[in-house]
Formats: sequence, structure tokens, C-alpha cells
Amino acid sequence: MTTSSATGPDQDALLRVGIDRSLRHPVMFFLTSGAAWLAVSMVLAIIGSTKVHWPSFLNDYGWLTYGRVAPAHINALIYGWGFQAAFAVIIWLMARLSRKTCTNAGTLLAAGHVWNLVVMLGVIGILAGYGTGIPWLEFPVFAWPVLLATFIVITMGAFIQFRVRPEGHTYISQWYLLAAIIWFPWIFASANLLLHVFPSHPVMAAGVAAWYKSALIFLFFTPVALAAAFYLAPKVTGRPVFSYSLAQLGFWSLAVIAPWAGMQKLAGAPITYWIPMMGAAATVLLAVPLFASGLNLLKTVMSDTQTLSSSPALRFMTAGVVAMLLLGFAAVFLNLPGSTLQLTQFSLSNYGFEILALYGFFGLVTFGAIYFIVPRVTRREWISSRLIKIHFLFSAYGIVTVALVALFGGLQQGIGEESWQLPWQAAASRAYPYAVATTITWCFLLFSNIFYFIHLTLMWVGLGRRSSHPTLLLKPHHSGSVHGEEGDIDNAGPGHAAAH
Amino acid sequence: MSLRIFILGLFASFGVAWLAILIAPSVAMSRLAPLEFSEAVDGKTGVFYPKRTGRIQDGAKVYAANGCYQCHTQIIRPTYAGNDMYRADWAGLKADPDRGDTRRETNAYDFSGERFAQIGVMRLGPDLSNIGRRVESIYAVGTSPELWLYKHLYDPRRLPERFMSGCPSYQFLFVEKPVKGNRSTDALPFGDDPSKQVSPSPEAKALVSYLMSLKKDQPVPAALNFGPPKKEAK
Repeated sequence: MTTSSATGPDQDALLRVGIDRSLRHPVMFFLTSGAAWLAVSMVLAIIGSTKVHWPSFLNDYGWLTYGRVAPAHINALIYGWGFQAAFAVIIWLMARLSRKTCTNAGTLLAAGHVWNLVVMLGVIGILAGYGTGIPWLEFPVFAWPVLLATFIVITMGAFIQFRVRPEGHTYISQWYLLAAIIWFPWIFASANLLLHVFPSHPVMAAGVAAWYKSALIFLFFTPVALAAAFYLAPKVTGRPVFSYSLAQLGFWSLAVIAPWAGMQKLAGAPITYWIPMMGAAATVLLAVPLFASGLNLLKTVMSDTQTLSSSPALRFMTAGVVAMLLLGFAAVFLNLPGSTLQLTQFSLSNYGFEILALYGFFGLVTFGAIYFIVPRVTRREWISSRLIKIHFLFSAYGIVTVALVALFGGLQQGIGEESWQLPWQAAASRAYPYAVATTITWCFLLFSNIFYFIHLTLMWVGLGRRSSHPTLLLKPHHSGSVHGEEGDIDNAGPGHAAAH
Repeated sequence: MSLRIFILGLFASFGVAWLAILIAPSVAMSRLAPLEFSEAVDGKTGVFYPKRTGRIQDGAKVYAANGCYQCHTQIIRPTYAGNDMYRADWAGLKADPDRGDTRRETNAYDFSGERFAQIGVMRLGPDLSNIGRRVESIYAVGTSPELWLYKHLYDPRRLPERFMSGCPSYQFLFVEKPVKGNRSTDALPFGDDPSKQVSPSPEAKALVSYLMSLKKDQPVPAALNFGPPKKEAK
């Protein structure tokens, strides 16, 4: 929270406005196209999930068969929405924290269009029956080199900004951003090379795919979400991060533990015995970084409960952090070899866990960041606190439902699967209510995000409120204005931090 | 901490795991040596090579592209990792007339001919490691196992005992045409309307051929046989 001594507060504010303006089009492009993919993915999710408990639903079309819709949904969610939301956070946050104006907006926009084109061709490819059948890498094989190159082009600017930043403090968020930028190309390239270019053994290929899923969650989406959270919590409350050493513990324990996780999904497969066991141990140990960072962030935001209840950004972010703690608990609870792992290994809890990570944790934290970033890059305030509240409320309902699927549905189904004396139908019957719950989850999330889509579109076309009052969720007690105190040019809400 | 040390830290923490669980096992498993039967223990000699016949590569593509792995697994886990071995017909046959109890775990040689082992994501449907064996010896005794699979893919809820099946119908893998002159040689005995005929598409043929190749219950060398001791067939 230090201000560079060379510049006064006015120049500082001007610099921030300059950075925001330079990033306006790339950030809004990634957020709006990401939102469009989120909508596509949720519609596919509802169709797919309905088919699980109603198999004859929309059954006449090959391109809508469950085995194509389900991968199309998750790939659209990951590459269409997750990555683009992450790109917006990465480029904006790194520019702000490195105090550098974006000079490659044109390149970012061009690369963003390429990314969207590949995701579109990939999703159509899956639906048309050209999927690879490798979980989370179902896009036809042409897609991965283009996605990899585009990712590098998009994040390269952020890396350079960090290298040429003025001397000064390195923020916790910057550790996480750098880590995500460096790890993802490594993960993506090694997984795809081992699967498509240097094939080893079919069982090892399945292991690589299982590792990729876990690595993508914990070494890309988790660092990006934590970067946003470690920016928002001190920035909006105006308090320093609770503990710097706890943040270091959280970061380095994630870096050391997460790369080992993932292959526990191959427990019992013909692969060296210690590899799945190592994966299970690492996944259980992931509770350490998740709890360390979660505790740190919660301690920081709880220092100012007034702001927590009135700031949309902080409320979404804190809910995402709570989902992260739940994820840490689930990582332990669902992956114990010899007790729960064999129950959850081939059950709904895998999907529940993934959605809890992608939407519950990464998604909500990113929505918090979006509610903070968009008013700054568009120079308009969010139009309605009611739209934000509905978005929050129904997202929370959806996350609670999907957490139930992850924690209990998988176990229930697993108990049925392992009861070998009973006919197989018993397992399917146990899974049935939780399959219905998954559909309900996506209905909640689609309903909640309709309000987000409308709001974001209005902001994008420049119809936001022209005001210097931020949109808050509660009316402050001490001010006559419904929109809170008169802010400065960089509205950060009441009690906002000294500029940095 | 300087940037150089930080980046070094990122490379080291990730790189060690990357080498240990990704690269080293990939190299090791790409050189998987053939296993030999031992004369003393197995009572025969030769190399263990589970023979698979059928359109394995094309069929695996159809299996992958239509997402069969979303609901079906292809793995019989050892008893420490799950109860798959105990199910009467998953791991093989409990009482094969000739061979007795043929149930066994999945081994690394079972996936020969495939690029990606479809271990599977979820078990909404049963395991398919031995679906070929099951159809042949249990579901379609005395009739054509391929025809049974075609009928099943066309309408999984056709048989009264399967009315609860959650499997989607794969009618889009079949072609319905009017009969002109003689019926097509591969037309299936479906439907009441003699002027129409239903034939499997090339994809459906490949898929059924692949499913019939899933018979992972051949005897394995003692070195691979970790299953619980079996009672002698009476």
C-alpha cells in the first residue's frame, strides 16, 4: 500500500485512469465474450444434465447426445468463459500493479478474436462428433497449438509489464499472476505433447489427462483467483493483508503441492502404484494452501464488516473464498484412499468438485473482480444494486446445491457402485436425486447470470450511471446519498485505500 | 526475493513434480516389456498378449467422439481400490463352462491397439471392460451378439428389464431407408413396416466391433495375477 514518492496523488490518479483507458477495449472484449460463452455453456449444461435423469429428452439429434453435450459444456465453460475472465483479470491487474499503461491493446484484441474463433470451432467440433474423447481436452486436435500460442501472446504483455515496472514493492497478487502465466503454457504443452505427439502408453495417457484437470484448476484458475482476491481484499477495505508470512506459506505450499495432484483418479489402474497414491496425498494436502490463503483473506475482509456488506466486489470475492475453503475440505474428504476415494472415483462428486472450483471459487472471486474493474475501465458505475444482489443470491444457491452434489451425491452414488451384492440399478437410483440437483444448480446459475449479462451489456454499450458514487449493496447510515459518499476520480468505495 | 530466484522457485517446485509423475512414468511406460508365462507357475510358455480382434482404432474413435466415457468406465480395479472384481459379470465370467472363474483385474496390456485408455469419468452405466464377453455369453446366448448390441444402441430401454436404463438412444448412428427391390444385406430386423429398413451406419459398425473386442478376461501370467485366490471350477 505504498505510494511512489516521485508522484503525487493527482498524478497517481491520472496514471490509473490512463491505464484503465488503455485497457478498456481488451478487458471489455474478454468479459463480454466470456459472458457469452458462459451463457452457451450453461444452456448446454442444463440440456446435458437433464439427459442424465431423463434420457429421452431431446434424443433425436446426434449433436445433442449426452456424450457430446457434456464435454461441449465443460470445454465452453473452461476455455470460453474461465480463460477469458482470467485474461481480463490478468491484463488489468498486472497493468495496475506494475503501474504501466497497456501498449498492445490491438494485439490483445486480435489474439482475443483468434481465441474465440478456436473455442467456437472446438465446441462445434465436439458437437459434430469430432471430439478427442480426452476429458477437458475434447477440442479436435487442431485447437491446442493455436490456443497455446494465443495464450502466450495475450499474457506476454503482462509479463513484460512486470519486468519493466518501476522499482518497488512486489505485490502478493503479482506472485500469483506470474505463476499462472508461467505454469499454464507448461501444463498445456506437456499434456498435449504427451497425448498427441509423443504418445507413451494408453494408460499413462489417461493419467496425463487426469493430471491436467487437477493442474488446470490448482495451477491456473486458483492462482488467478487468488491474485484477484489478494488485490481486492486490502484495496476495498483499505486494510493491509492480515499476514504476509501466511501469504507466503499459502503461495509456496500451493506451488510445491499442486503439481503432484490429480492422478488419484487412476487408483487401481495398471500404472505404478505410488503415482495415484501420491496424487491422493497431494490432493489431501492441498487443504494447506487453500486454508492458509482462505484464512488470510477472511481475516483481512473481516476487519471491515461494514464495507464487506456494502461492496459488491468484496461480497462476491468473500463468497468465493468461502467456496475455496469448502473446496479444501472436499479435497480432503473425497480423496482418502481406502475409504472415500474408491467411492468417489467414478461418481458425480468429480463433476461437483470441478464446478465448485470453477464456478464457486474461481467464478465468484472473478465476478468480484469484474464488479470492481468494469466501472473503472468504462468510467461508468453499475446501474442497479438490485441486479447485483440477484446475481449474488442465486449464484450462492447454485453453489450450495453443487457442493451438496460434490460432497454427498458422489458418496451416495459410490456406496451404490461398491455394493456388489445389489444389482447395478441400485447405484443409478442412488445417483438420480443428485443428477436432478445438478440440473437445478445450472438453472439457478443461468437465472442468476441473466441479470449479470443484462447488466454487463448495458455497461459495455456505455449505459452505466454517470456518477462518481460507486454502486453499493447497502445504504450507508451516515450519508444522505443512496450511493454513498462522494468519491474521488477512482471510486473504490468508502474507506478506499491509498492509491497504488 | 529477486525475480530470478522467484522464477527459479516456480520452475523448481513445478519441475520436480513434472519430471517425477509425468515425464519419468511416460518414458517408463512407453517401454513396457512383454510379459512371459512361466512354465513352472503358469504351466505354459509364451508371451502374454491379450488378443483383440475387431475395428479397435475406428471403434475407439466413435466411442470417444460420442462421449461413452462420460458414463462408462473400462477398468476393473484391484480389491484394494474397489469392489469391481466381485460383481458377477464385470471382471469376466463367474462360471464359464470351460474355464471356470475367469474374473481378473485390468492390466496395462489390455489396452493394446488404443491411443487413450478410456478409464472413464463416471459410472452412471456399468463398466464395459468385458462387455463383449457379457453380451456373447449372457445377454445374447444363441443369437448374434452384434445384433443384440445394435438393438441396444438403437433403443436401450427396449427390453422390459432395462426400462430404467439411463443410456441415450443412438438412433443417429443408424440409417433408415425405404426398401427398393431386395432388402439391404446389412439391414436389421427392426420395425413393422416392410417398406422401410434400418441399417447401421459405418460408425455404428465400428462401435459395435469395438465393443465386441472388449473381452478382458484372458488368463494372465502369475506375475500379473493379483486377484484373490479362486476356487477350482467344479
